Amino acid sequence: MMNTNQAPAKRHMGLKALNRASNTVIYTLLVLISIIWLIPFVFIVFQSFRVESTWQVGYVIPKQWGFDNYIRLWNTDFKKWYLNTFIIAVAAAGLQTIIVLCMSYTLSRFRFKLRGPLMRFMLILGMFPGMLTMIILYRVLSDLGLTQSNAVPGLILVTVASSGMGYYVSKGFFDTISKSLDEAARVDGATRLQVLYKIILPLAKPIVIYTILTGFMGPWGDFVFARYVAMGTSSGYNVAVGMYSWLTNDQISSYYTTFCAGGVIVALPVTILFMCLQKYYVEGVTGGAVKG
Amino acid sequence: MASVKLTKVKKIYDNKVVAVHDFDLEIKDKEFVVFVGPSGCGKSTTLRMVAGLEDISEGTVEIDGEVVNDLQPKDRGIAMVFQNYALYPHMTVYDNIAFSLRLSKTPEDVVYEKVTKAAEVLGITEYLTRKPRALSGGQRQRVAIGRAMVRDSKVFLMDEPLSNLDAKLRNQMRAEIILLRQKLNTTFIYVTHDQTEAMTLGDRIVIMKDGYIMQVGTPAEVFDMPNNLFVAGFIGAPQMNFINTELLCENGKYYVTPFGVKLPVEGEKAELLAKKNVKSGKIVLGVRPEHITLAKGNEAAIPCSLLVNEMMGSELHLHVSTEDETALIVRVPTINLSTEERSSLVNGHKLSVTFEGKAMHFFDPNTEANLLV
Repeated sequence: MMNTNQAPAKRHMGLKALNRASNTVIYTLLVLISIIWLIPFVFIVFQSFRVESTWQVGYVIPKQWGFDNYIRLWNTDFKKWYLNTFIIAVAAAGLQTIIVLCMSYTLSRFRFKLRGPLMRFMLILGMFPGMLTMIILYRVLSDLGLTQSNAVPGLILVTVASSGMGYYVSKGFFDTISKSLDEAARVDGATRLQVLYKIILPLAKPIVIYTILTGFMGPWGDFVFARYVAMGTSSGYNVAVGMYSWLTNDQISSYYTTFCAGGVIVALPVTILFMCLQKYYVEGVTGGAVKG
Repeated sequence: MASVKLTKVKKIYDNKVVAVHDFDLEIKDKEFVVFVGPSGCGKSTTLRMVAGLEDISEGTVEIDGEVVNDLQPKDRGIAMVFQNYALYPHMTVYDNIAFSLRLSKTPEDVVYEKVTKAAEVLGITEYLTRKPRALSGGQRQRVAIGRAMVRDSKVFLMDEPLSNLDAKLRNQMRAEIILLRQKLNTTFIYVTHDQTEAMTLGDRIVIMKDGYIMQVGTPAEVFDMPNNLFVAGFIGAPQMNFINTELLCENGKYYVTPFGVKLPVEGEKAELLAKKNVKSGKIVLGVRPEHITLAKGNEAAIPCSLLVNEMMGSELHLHVSTEDETALIVRVPTINLSTEERSSLVNGHKLSVTFEGKAMHFFDPNTEANLLV
């Protein structure tokens, strides 16, 4: 009798302890992984504040701290490169967002001939690696005079021109918004454009933010194509290409810590953007729209 | 406030499916017309063509004498209430109702006046600052109606507005729509699959099936003189009983012989049969459940046994089976039954039923048309 009474209680305790044990293991593992993941970032931040030597040293924590490397950045072409990258990224993000959202709305709401084949065609086209087009794109840009010192408009053009193909995620999101909202708004007197920006976009805020962020991130971290289009002309560099030029054998000894400082500056806007906008990634806004 | 005229309106979808065939209808100013029919009959499609949300494949739609085929929904002077409410989830109730007014650049003080007035009429004043997700189904439906009300439209379209509500709320809202109609005093087109809604709300009912109009008429007309078997079966609940039998014409008097029992046709129905000079022959006899009575002994009656007894409160719905296993439904008011009689009505109980000659409907078994129309 005693035994049967005690048994369930004991099992209950066992379950609780087991839960706690597995949680401990999981959290320990997660903490370890995040430490490993953070090491390079911490390392770069530390290097950027080191003033005793511009060359690589065998330790992590600087012996002398200071802003020398950041001040030195101002006296290089870094300003120009940073501005170039910023212009490309902002212009690309803006234009790309407009094009992608219009494209997605059209494909989600309108029914027209060849709509299906067009979507499949773009999907297949998107499967080819972008590198394949690099040489011919360079020829085209070169003929248009948009390379080397004119690399900035050239890069904007290339990024924006193909952006319509990135409709997939946002079209999928628009498809989940009830079409009767469109219809109600149209009966209420809205034009298609008003439906898009007064009804659909506020409801699709997470996807709009996602589109802007990806549009910004692409050109912000671009290296291969940017280097190819700039073709060794410093005024056409973006930050990635420009800073890479400091890592050549004859430069690295005097620019290593400056390079680290540049890296921190490059990471700043993206970090801030993400911190401000991350809540939209999880926000569900369509509750109560239509009867579920 | 306007008339609506549909002339030979046709809807053909891209896959060549014809959803609506040659729809002809004239809706008078301030009339309340209900489109009713089973799902897939084209009633919503027709409404959406009037609204401009669906292209009109052939024919014309006129609102207030003007052909609106090529007009955008916003230019047709209509307001619409949707089945799933279609409230804008990111806006408050106030903004939802004010949306159309703001689009038309109405001054903000006029917007305020109109919205608060509509909210008062609908009893949703206290919810104006809430978002739709914080409202119950009935409240959401009121907001949707409010949004349509403030538009001062010529025609008010409603696409199954009550079908998402529970039964009790639906009855309540139905009464409110009747009151609303008196206040708004405008032309209504209302789509539903529920014949009760159609009967209680409509000045005229349009009964549709497979894209064709089966009958257009007042609730009394379609109930008393259904054009065909479909309308007879669709209007009225529980549905009309159909019995394959024969019509006999003997010495100018008409008889029907359901299940071998000879019953005389009486009253107007007999006169109409004579006037139409209907001959003896096979027919489908229609009798509504409420017109069948339990036989009290001596009259000619059909013997049957009870299958199911549904207690509805004021009446019983008896599902009975005749000797040749035809199922019939009989509505018996409980007030006419003694406690003893009621308790005897258990499954398998033998009883006999009869009906009067004036309550019969006669249909051609081949064309399914009413022989008296």
